[in-house]
Amino acid sequence: MSDGPHLLELEGVAKHFGGLYALSGLDVRVDEGEIVSVIGPNGAGKSTMFNVVTGLYPPDDGNVRFHGDSIVGLAPNRITKLGIARTFQTVHLFPNMTVLENAMVGQHCRARSGVFGAVVRPPGTRREEERIRTKAKESLEFFGSRLAGYRQEQPAFSLSFANRRRLEMARALATDPVLVMLDEPTAGMNPRETIELRDHIVRMRDVLGLTVLVIEHDMRVVKGVSDRVIALDYGRKIAEGTYEEVASDPQVIEAYLGTKAVG
Amino acid sequence: MRGLPTASIVRAGLVGGVSALFVSLVGLYTRFADLELVGEQITLGRVLIPAPALVAAYVVTRPRFVGGERRPIVLGGGLAVGTFTGAVTGAVFALAVWFADWFGVDRIRQVFVQVTEPLIDFLTFDKGVPAGLAILVVLCLAGGAIGGFERTAPASIRTPAAVGVLTVLALGLLQRIVPIILIQLGIEADWLYTPSTRGLTWLGAAGIFVVAAAANVLWTRGGARAGQRVRTTIQEAPAAKLGLLVVTLSLLSVLPLLLGTVISEVLGQVMVFVLLGIGLNIVVGYAGLLDLGYVAFFAFGAYTTGLLTGALLNTTTGAAEPVLSADLNFYVAVWIVALMAAGLGLLIGAPILRLRGDYLAIVTLGLGEIVSIITASRWAQPLIGGPQGMRGVTNAEILGLNFQKDPQAFYYLALAFVLLALFVSWRLAASRVGRAWTAMREDEQVADAMGISTIKYKLLAFAMGGAIGALGGSLFAVNIGSLSPSSFGILISITALAVVVLGGLGSLPGVVVGALVLIGLPGLLREFEEYRLLIYGGALVAIMVLRPQGLIPNVRRSRELLEEEVEQDAWAKGVTGQAEAVVGVVPGGRLAGESENLE
Repeated sequence: MSDGPHLLELEGVAKHFGGLYALSGLDVRVDEGEIVSVIGPNGAGKSTMFNVVTGLYPPDDGNVRFHGDSIVGLAPNRITKLGIARTFQTVHLFPNMTVLENAMVGQHCRARSGVFGAVVRPPGTRREEERIRTKAKESLEFFGSRLAGYRQEQPAFSLSFANRRRLEMARALATDPVLVMLDEPTAGMNPRETIELRDHIVRMRDVLGLTVLVIEHDMRVVKGVSDRVIALDYGRKIAEGTYEEVASDPQVIEAYLGTKAVG
Repeated sequence: MRGLPTASIVRAGLVGGVSALFVSLVGLYTRFADLELVGEQITLGRVLIPAPALVAAYVVTRPRFVGGERRPIVLGGGLAVGTFTGAVTGAVFALAVWFADWFGVDRIRQVFVQVTEPLIDFLTFDKGVPAGLAILVVLCLAGGAIGGFERTAPASIRTPAAVGVLTVLALGLLQRIVPIILIQLGIEADWLYTPSTRGLTWLGAAGIFVVAAAANVLWTRGGARAGQRVRTTIQEAPAAKLGLLVVTLSLLSVLPLLLGTVISEVLGQVMVFVLLGIGLNIVVGYAGLLDLGYVAFFAFGAYTTGLLTGALLNTTTGAAEPVLSADLNFYVAVWIVALMAAGLGLLIGAPILRLRGDYLAIVTLGLGEIVSIITASRWAQPLIGGPQGMRGVTNAEILGLNFQKDPQAFYYLALAFVLLALFVSWRLAASRVGRAWTAMREDEQVADAMGISTIKYKLLAFAMGGAIGALGGSLFAVNIGSLSPSSFGILISITALAVVVLGGLGSLPGVVVGALVLIGLPGLLREFEEYRLLIYGGALVAIMVLRPQGLIPNVRRSRELLEEEVEQDAWAKGVTGQAEAVVGVVPGGRLAGESENLE
């Protein structure tokens, strides 16, 4: 692969909850400009991997490097500031803030003004607030007309399910990330919305120049977007490669369909 | 009426009866037997006789929800149910009075000190036991019928009627205040209030009822829409906004001249709690951190102001210098106090950052207690005077105004502080900082994952809340001039929280209204002083039941509450429709109850 450090590198990462090993000895590398899909049956450790990378859980063993520097032990907000943004498997918005405010929260880590700026409102703060607003609107407009216009002033809870997912992605994009981690972005979407979102994921790489790590169950999406696919089962990596390679891997087929009956 | 809800009627009636007994036993009736509201017959005590039956009937005739469908009770049924409830209440009440009379008042009095001959005479209308009890029962019946009427009559009748009656009662209660204001304004008040007894005249009461009811009718007919139009104009035109600001400010600045010293003094106390409310609102309302030890900042502000402005310790032999003190001008010292209080906020905030909800509340409660114990301790005596306290806090004299002797002058000082705090708080809420607080309150873990340092913003909330709370303490110290540990008990924390909750969490106008209701009304109605806590408790329970979002709610907060309610309803039914959809589509999707885990 490329020279120098990888963008994101998991080295022997382990995480257990009591006696349950959610992840064990996991090695994953992601390079800049890639779209990497993570697949695997339920409970394979995909979301746990996301939570370890974004700092919600500390790993029990191993290392996570971003741009070559370890990010283990950093608070989630520090990791976001370094350039890793994420969405959640079950949508987690700020339901009573407006759509625009949700996206503006994403820009929080790229702004500086504090109490003094808030109270006195010097020109610098006004400009910053204006910039936050513009950037937030831009990230909402990434989804075309879906989150545009009057919708931006409505509370987030009033959105349709698919739009909540879009807003969560827009909020992630508003953090000006380098790497976006999407946890089952098409879950709960209908086929048309799924196809639309597939194009959006590709555009994140091609238009915004982002690296995307995506957990996905819908194999059409995985096939359509992935530069590389990683398959997990029982917290281990069982296969890695192009979609075709992984899809034909006997271990992957076994993980999804169960062990062949003996005899 | 077919199928009267007998069980509910009896239950509500019994509760009403027991409440009536409670009101008798704590002495409310005897205390207010002679407080004449209208004419000579309608005293506050007599108004309180049918009140338990009225409330019980009002509760029992509420609309029922059958299978998620709202089923209001019709007027006839409401009147019947209400009257029956009142009958049960009246029966319990009358039985108890009869028993007390038969058993002997003196024997009961050994346990319940408020049970006296005058109480029995009052409850039997001086007509002796059998005859008087009939009147008592009839009054309870009437109360029940009114309760049922107020719930089930058409809104176009019951609302103006209720508004009219309540206005008459309120103006009757304010008999010491309103005539003073009218005289200040140069208006002859004799036709409205009887000069000898001070209650409203019958003519005055009728006039007030008609005016209030008519105002209510006009308001519902189109006033509400007109008000909305005015609001939009103000929001859209900067000139109108400025004009409104100027009008409000000039009204506020002539207020003490209109109201006279007594009311100005009460307003000063209200302002102190408005400051406390604004500060606590940042911690509880904006950042969502339940702080039950807010008195810590109040005490800190008061004592630090004393120390920095050269106050002396009270001792048995006279006065002594504190071991550490300065003699600064108040207007310099107050900034230092605020800064130091912000520091204290960080100190208190740091160890409890990881705590949430109930745990945070318990620990802050303890921290508040620690501070009030320190103020009274011998250990801190050389610094802040211990049990004897301090005296000689500066009166912050400026432009010849003495803030300790002249309540009207103090009002202006307090107003300046309050306006400053309101401005700061309002600007904070509408900024990047406020957005971070809101996000944190809505979902702490997600806010963290979106790049908001929850540690920083929690500490910031404690620091800002602490600084404003300390300003409240500072103001209090200047007003009183001497400090004693008894002023810094847990009651301050509770009152401040009650102000914030009553007004509406996260709402600045709510804080002002909350303080006016909880501090201003008891301050004006000195008769209620002994029953202050009882009334607080009652008011808070009523608010929680009738208007959980507060008197003037913050839009977002009330949505959150509503949402919790919806979630709870959904939980009670099993699974939300939305979660069902998710479960249906997502492989391995999960139920709504589990969604708190970020997996």
